[in-house]
Amino acid sequence: MSWFHTHRWSIATVLVVAALVAPVALDRDSYPLSTYPMYAEARPREVSLPTAVGVDAGGDTHRLSLEVIGGSDDPLIVAGDLREAIARGDDDDRCDEIAQRVADDPPDSGQPLVAIEVAVERRDVVAFVRDEDSLVDRTVAARCPVPERP
Amino acid sequence: MTGWRLHADAPPERLAAVRVLTGAFALGYLVARSPQLLALRDRGAEGFDGVGPLAWLDNPVADEVVTGVFAFAVATGITFVAGAGFRVTGPVFALAVLALTTYRASWGQLLWFDNLMTLHLLILGVAASADAWSLDARRRGGGRDRRRATLDHEYAAPLRLLCVVVVVTYVIAGVAKLRYGGGEWITGDALANHIAFSATRLEVLGGSASPLAHAAVTQAWALPVMAAASVVIELAAPVAMLGGRWRNAWVASAWAMHAAIAALMFVVFPYPLFLVAFAPFFALERAVSRLRGTPVVRLGSRRGERP
Repeated sequence: MSWFHTHRWSIATVLVVAALVAPVALDRDSYPLSTYPMYAEARPREVSLPTAVGVDAGGDTHRLSLEVIGGSDDPLIVAGDLREAIARGDDDDRCDEIAQRVADDPPDSGQPLVAIEVAVERRDVVAFVRDEDSLVDRTVAARCPVPERP
Repeated sequence: MTGWRLHADAPPERLAAVRVLTGAFALGYLVARSPQLLALRDRGAEGFDGVGPLAWLDNPVADEVVTGVFAFAVATGITFVAGAGFRVTGPVFALAVLALTTYRASWGQLLWFDNLMTLHLLILGVAASADAWSLDARRRGGGRDRRRATLDHEYAAPLRLLCVVVVVTYVIAGVAKLRYGGGEWITGDALANHIAFSATRLEVLGGSASPLAHAAVTQAWALPVMAAASVVIELAAPVAMLGGRWRNAWVASAWAMHAAIAALMFVVFPYPLFLVAFAPFFALERAVSRLRGTPVVRLGSRRGERP
């Protein structure tokens, strides 16, 4: 039996550890080899959060759900996806997608929704959690009508 | 396991138990995430940026490829768990999971939920993980032919490598907090802001934040303690390789950290939270034997412990 065969798992261990550490040495996050930077960087109190809301005939806004906004129950995926869409300039298309979901399955928000707004809300997140005034700014990226159900 | 060295020796059943547990988890995870994985077929080319093994890919693949790889992954996942044709299905399932999870990560958002599971599958897929508790082992049967086929197979070394991957991963995460956040990450408002951010993001997207987020943010004195604890737990991961009480204490601490993250931020890392990530550290075959009220069924390999 060759030396390599005898020590194959020791060699594999060295190579795997080197591969795991490589992103750290290169300071480059990737997949599946990563620097695992989740929650590592300081986050400011004021942040811009993408979202979408429904608007009723009276002009009042209503929160939609994760599924309606992003087709997923994972807030990381929905928020990231929406942020990317706004950055690419796809906010109108995304607004239409959300409006169609609302038309197909109206949320139970009391008043029927007539429009969707894709917006970026700048908030003091600590004040928000403390139930204090938190909205610093709000920018509407797109607004579109909710199609009528056939 | 001896008193100080984790997996000084191991029977094939121990590695097989990890195969079954990890494979079943991965299979269930794929099925549970199938809506999100299959929805990738509907995404356009904008925003796509291949990462890792798919860094060479400039554009999304055809819908049929995504569907096909997903179906293939589920099929080979079943054979992975059952230990059927494992010499082929082992690495193939691992590669299919790698392809799917890498593809999902190639839309500009690295989420870190799947890394450890995928790395474990790759190791299990090339190790002798189906020498026991598998259809392959049942087909080989007992006797001299089976012993000859598995004579030079290693079981302890792959288990130790699985453990090393867990340990190095957690150390890297701890290093990242100090590297990118500095000491301020422990003493400053970093953790409070992260908890508040997670809660606010969830609420503005129509979800409901954890009721514990408000308490955590308002009880500011507790957060530096929690921040220090998380960094210590991550950097202390190597003690788990000592086995015994050190291993138990570290696994319990790491699990508690993930439970706290889930409770405070509703952010779930399922692989460690369901304890599957830590399975390689333990002699699972003994637990199975105790449940069945039988001694460990050995293959008669020259390696391995007494039941």
